[in-house]
Amino acid sequence: MLGYLGRCFGQLIVTAIGIVTVAFFLMRAIPGDPAQYMLGDYATKEALVTLRAQLGLDRSLIEQYGLFLSRAFRGDLGTSVVTGQAALTEIIDSLPASMALAISGLAVAIALGVPLGIAAAIRQGTWFDVAIMLVTLGGISFPVFWLGLAAILLFAHKLSIFPALGSSSSTNLATQLHHLALPSLVLGFSVAAYIARLTRSAMLEVLGQDYVRVARAMGIPERRIVYKLALRNAMVPILAVIGVTFAWSLGNAILIEAVFSRSGVGSTMLKAILARDYQLVQAGVLALATAVVLTNAVLDVTYGLIDPRLRSS
Amino acid sequence: MSRNRLIEGNALTRRNVFTLAGGAAAGAFLPLDYSRVALAQGAKTLRVRIGSDISVLDPPHIFQIENQTVAGHVFNGLVKYDQATNKIVPDLATAWTISGDGKVYTFKLRSGVTFHKTYGTLTASDVTYSLDRVLDPKGASKYTGQLAGLVKTEAPDPQTVVLTLDNPSVGFLHKLTAFNQGWIVSKKAVEEMGDKFKLNPIGTGPFTFEKWTTGAEVRLAANKSYFEGAPTIDELQLRIIKEETAAAIALEKGEIDIFYALQQPEMIDRLSKVAGIKVLSRDANHTINLVLNTTIKPLDDVRVRQAIAYAMNRKGLIDGYFKGTKGMGHSVLTSSFAEFTDDVPKYAYDPDKAKALLKDAGHPSFKFEITSVGLSPFDRIVVPLAEDLKAVGIDTTLKILERGAYTQARNSGNVQSCVTGVVGPPDPDSPLVTLYAKKSFPPGLNTARYEAVEELLSKAAAATGDASRAAAYKAILQKTMTDVPVIPLYADKLFLAHTDKVQGLVQNSLFTVHTYSASLKG
Repeated sequence: MLGYLGRCFGQLIVTAIGIVTVAFFLMRAIPGDPAQYMLGDYATKEALVTLRAQLGLDRSLIEQYGLFLSRAFRGDLGTSVVTGQAALTEIIDSLPASMALAISGLAVAIALGVPLGIAAAIRQGTWFDVAIMLVTLGGISFPVFWLGLAAILLFAHKLSIFPALGSSSSTNLATQLHHLALPSLVLGFSVAAYIARLTRSAMLEVLGQDYVRVARAMGIPERRIVYKLALRNAMVPILAVIGVTFAWSLGNAILIEAVFSRSGVGSTMLKAILARDYQLVQAGVLALATAVVLTNAVLDVTYGLIDPRLRSS
Repeated sequence: MSRNRLIEGNALTRRNVFTLAGGAAAGAFLPLDYSRVALAQGAKTLRVRIGSDISVLDPPHIFQIENQTVAGHVFNGLVKYDQATNKIVPDLATAWTISGDGKVYTFKLRSGVTFHKTYGTLTASDVTYSLDRVLDPKGASKYTGQLAGLVKTEAPDPQTVVLTLDNPSVGFLHKLTAFNQGWIVSKKAVEEMGDKFKLNPIGTGPFTFEKWTTGAEVRLAANKSYFEGAPTIDELQLRIIKEETAAAIALEKGEIDIFYALQQPEMIDRLSKVAGIKVLSRDANHTINLVLNTTIKPLDDVRVRQAIAYAMNRKGLIDGYFKGTKGMGHSVLTSSFAEFTDDVPKYAYDPDKAKALLKDAGHPSFKFEITSVGLSPFDRIVVPLAEDLKAVGIDTTLKILERGAYTQARNSGNVQSCVTGVVGPPDPDSPLVTLYAKKSFPPGLNTARYEAVEELLSKAAAATGDASRAAAYKAILQKTMTDVPVIPLYADKLFLAHTDKVQGLVQNSLFTVHTYSASLKG
């Protein structure tokens, strides 16, 4: 286990350095300049030069990169050029909102996707299967911002079940959950579509295998075959897609965040990219990369719990 | 502003009686009122939608309407614009004198004004410190150029500020109004907090800055000891709602009270039909323009520039795309300026005249590129205009760039033409100097590289008396509209929607909202 954690940590370092390097140079390759963004319409040549010097943008790219790396190793990811706050603090501040949405969205997705996928697999080829596959095709195809707006129109405007705003500053947990419900349902629905389709095909593959046929021949009840024997084997690919979508929804829930007026890492990153706030983008990329690597590590461990053959020696 | 600030305490004014009765009636018809949580605690909270997060609230570096809206509640200036009339009225200064040569301004400060929290009493040194920060070349302020000409700031005693200019400037008071560089900060707070002041502003305004939740909201609390009287609302919440559609629904459902800077014509139309919602509108201080680079052939020929103005169906754009929610731009000054006149050369849609002018100039056809920013509506409006230009033989292409890339391209000064506007206070020099003066050459906004009104601009700056000032500005507008280095595409209008609960709100002609005048019913 200790060796495994060590390997995991090593992987994290390599991934982090790689991805931050890419982010560093990509950000600087796109046209636009933070000094110009901050000075805007009244920019004068003198003010631009002064501000660039203050932000360290007058140094060579390699010099900037070296400085960034040496600081990053000491845990200093720099300060946001716009707000003057520590970049890492700003990202960490926006993490709870992202986590809440990602976790609740995933819960909805699993609760919807897995049972629907199993049900479709059992009734393969029937109208029920076709209907589920059609609905999930919709979940994949409809852009999430459209789904979000449609949900606001229906549930907040017409039916008045949920508030139109996806977050609340209230300290009351019930109020907060009430606000969180609609965005999690929309995110959950779009992710559930993937999970349902994958569950269906994984189940079909497993259900077609010899040991299932043997189990059936031995007269083991169908319920037991499906939920105990087949599902456990189908679980590994399902878990993989769940892990991927979790990491995905942390950063890419930005459209949901925009539609439902929620804060989060995605919105913070977009704001930073538009402002060419290099430090903030780098901190955000690093946080997301870490989240992806950690999710994968957790998944690796859970694979082992489900399938003894995958346990590392 | 005539406001009943003197009646404080428990006095039941006539308005209050009406408020109580109306509130009870309105409450009975609300099916699901999310505001009850706040009301239950007995605090009057006004909730305003802002379209994006705040970033910097320190006056020398402030930009974007969200930041300016927050800062407008926190800071005061020496003087301010009356929200309704745009006249310059006293703010922190109660009186001022201008020396005979127009170079020395002496301000008397209001006594007993205190800064928020524990930052003490306002003195003249806070004022000089605030202005010096903007002037400091090392401070990299956005607004150093706005105070150009201010050579000396002095505080002879704690209640007196003396400002000395190098040249007479009649319009200088505009630069000291409560906006951007004119906002007065607490010297003690800036020196104590340093960089942290950017998001912990300390001023003298009607609201104190309480809490910022990244990406979600900003909370301001009423300043009970505000010198013009405590605001009638207890708390101001600025909620970040990016989507206009979601914001409109939140307004209809009573989740927010005020939605300002409404943009989409469909939304304005829809909200104005909803019962319980009022939509206010007012001419803005800016026009959206097409700036032509007069150093690039054939745009150096005035006939070609006039032909472009004639060729574009701007009226059609306003009536069609904008559904009448914008006004015709006759010059870069809109009707909200005291110096506005529509006695200028006008260019009504006339493709035949455009073709004739192009033929005269010897350029019946040429390649033309419009650079615009990829933000609605600036990426859309150029499409029909390009079609209009093609129809008269100008081979027009569009280049739509992301904001950062657009600013870089525009500020390089090498674009043939670009779409731009100067958003700011009703100070005529703000658009005129920014668009037409030589000192605003790129990276400034005079990407036309136009220099034919230098003399007229300095004449206007020195013109004393209303009549000569009006004549001087009229001369600038007539000259610039004859030469048309900048074609106003439309004059912007501002729309603000609020629920019936909000009363007494005065809409200003800036892109911001100031809620001190507002009260809440119920």
